[in-house]
Amino acid sequence: MAPAKAPSGHFSILYFAAASTLTTKSNEHLPAPLEARHLFAKLEEKYPGIKEKVLSSCAVTVNLEYVDIDTEDAEQADLVIKEGDEVAIIPPVSSG
Amino acid sequence: MASVSVLESLRQQIAACEAQLLDLRRQLVEAEHQQRQQREQERLQRSAQKAPDPLAYDFTYGIHDDFRTEIFAALSQDEDAQQATKRWPLERTEYKRYGRQLIMPEIGLQGQLRLRHASVLIIGVGGLGCPAAAYLVGAGVGTIGLVDGDVVEESNLHRQILHSTGRVGMTKVDSAVVALHSLNPIVKLVPHHGRLTPETAIPTLKPYDLVLDCTDTPASRYLISDACVLLGKPLISASALRTDGQLMVLNNPPLPPGDTAGGPCYRCVFPKPPPPESVVSCGDGGILGPVVGVMGVLQALEAIKVLTRSSPLPTNGAASVDPPSLLIFSAYANPMFRTIRLRTRKPKCATCSAQATVTPEALNSGSLDYVQFCGSINPVNTLGPNERISAENYAKLRLDVNPFTGREPSKDGHILVDVREKVQFDLCSLEGSVNIPFSVVSSTLGSSVIRPDDAVENAKEPDWVSELKSHPDKPIFVVCRLGNDSQLTVKRMKNLGLDSGGQRWIGDIKGGLKAWRESVDRDFPEY
Repeated sequence: MAPAKAPSGHFSILYFAAASTLTTKSNEHLPAPLEARHLFAKLEEKYPGIKEKVLSSCAVTVNLEYVDIDTEDAEQADLVIKEGDEVAIIPPVSSG
Repeated sequence: MASVSVLESLRQQIAACEAQLLDLRRQLVEAEHQQRQQREQERLQRSAQKAPDPLAYDFTYGIHDDFRTEIFAALSQDEDAQQATKRWPLERTEYKRYGRQLIMPEIGLQGQLRLRHASVLIIGVGGLGCPAAAYLVGAGVGTIGLVDGDVVEESNLHRQILHSTGRVGMTKVDSAVVALHSLNPIVKLVPHHGRLTPETAIPTLKPYDLVLDCTDTPASRYLISDACVLLGKPLISASALRTDGQLMVLNNPPLPPGDTAGGPCYRCVFPKPPPPESVVSCGDGGILGPVVGVMGVLQALEAIKVLTRSSPLPTNGAASVDPPSLLIFSAYANPMFRTIRLRTRKPKCATCSAQATVTPEALNSGSLDYVQFCGSINPVNTLGPNERISAENYAKLRLDVNPFTGREPSKDGHILVDVREKVQFDLCSLEGSVNIPFSVVSSTLGSSVIRPDDAVENAKEPDWVSELKSHPDKPIFVVCRLGNDSQLTVKRMKNLGLDSGGQRWIGDIKGGLKAWRESVDRDFPEY
């Protein structure tokens, strides 16, 4: 189903592949604003173990744009996820 | 003795010259064709000028377009008699076979000639590689190489559309060659039997213009991407599992490492491999045929786009290439497709940046261990011999009189827990077994990991734990598909205190239902 628009003060987050399996959902809404560098900690709080199992190797996008927020010298460490934004957690799929 | 760098420099020069030669040949074909067209044009004009009588007018303008060229061709036959066979750049059968795509402006004659002069390597002839190969062979790509080390299995057939029931047991490469040759005998097929390894990657990929990654492991994805960057080949990478797929055109344009105008590589997008225990194969996770089929078809489409695009000038090579993107397919989501804009090459990428550490020497020497980089899981072997029972002995316990106590067998005397996921349990199960899916077991926190601040939340015991605790006297046998999850479950159950401090026996059935089928009940379904 098309994810509902995020209610005011929230952003949407989409979970793909292994992220969807672990969270058992394809999307949800989280409170905004949120500094992008705190995203992983926030998710780890909600889904213990997700950081190591999924987030450590996944791609993250904000509004369909790849963002680099995890590494020490990440270029977009200061990015803030705003109300209404769409974030996606995209683990690599390697089967075929 | 020549130093390594000299050798490499020579190799690179040879590769560059070969690429140039290939391009020159294609340009020659195109130029020859243009010259012929021009001559034709001139002849038309000449005859129009030389013969100002009404008949000539009729010949030029009064004859239906369809016949005009044919008539002039017939009239000028003697002039070009020697060139008769080369009059048309494509063979007659090719005009027919490729007619439906030839008449599209995206392809046209030039595009078809580019396809004919191109060579594509398809690595993996499974769910992705089969449809990708079928469409590329159908479209008339000149040479197609096929790499695979597996044989066709019955469980492949629902999605691997080149293979057939009659060819179960044949190598996938040979089976695909049979199917593809009957589809289009014009295309040259090159079989490469065996899996790609770091040592074979560069020599295998080198002769090809473009590579399709249709493999199924993280290690092969990094290896192929690295080799493509080092050799300067564009790479079309796709993957699929369950209902999801991903597609990327990588290293496009394929500029040398350190050139920031080049397209990103697999490591730029996914610098860290997923933890090995989280990697699920199609055999374990499942795959829907059309999902992987869609991804393979899209690979063929992207390949045709890359190959037929007019050859870029070396100076502005980046200009004619689409910006890099990651296409995500989710069959049960709405919308089904999403396109993610990717970044350019990562400034510190291990393969394609100026600080690259992945080199051809490292690859050729085998010093890059992709399997180690991606990690591997050893078969689970965590239980002691007194915590395990073979399928045969468990069968005796279920079916025979107990040789020690003389008691009649009783299915009520123990609990058999099947930890496969519910959908698998519903396919087939042993009589009397109860289903507690491994996902439920593993998400139940063991007593040792309960943090103090979670104590209140975790005080509520899951139903499956209290249910098992309510029969403290009955031994628990745990079974799964292959005998790995069952061991982890036994550990977890003991961790949760279900063995009443060692009072109750908890163990697993060695080798799971696979062993049960092989040594006890041959009719038990294999899936």
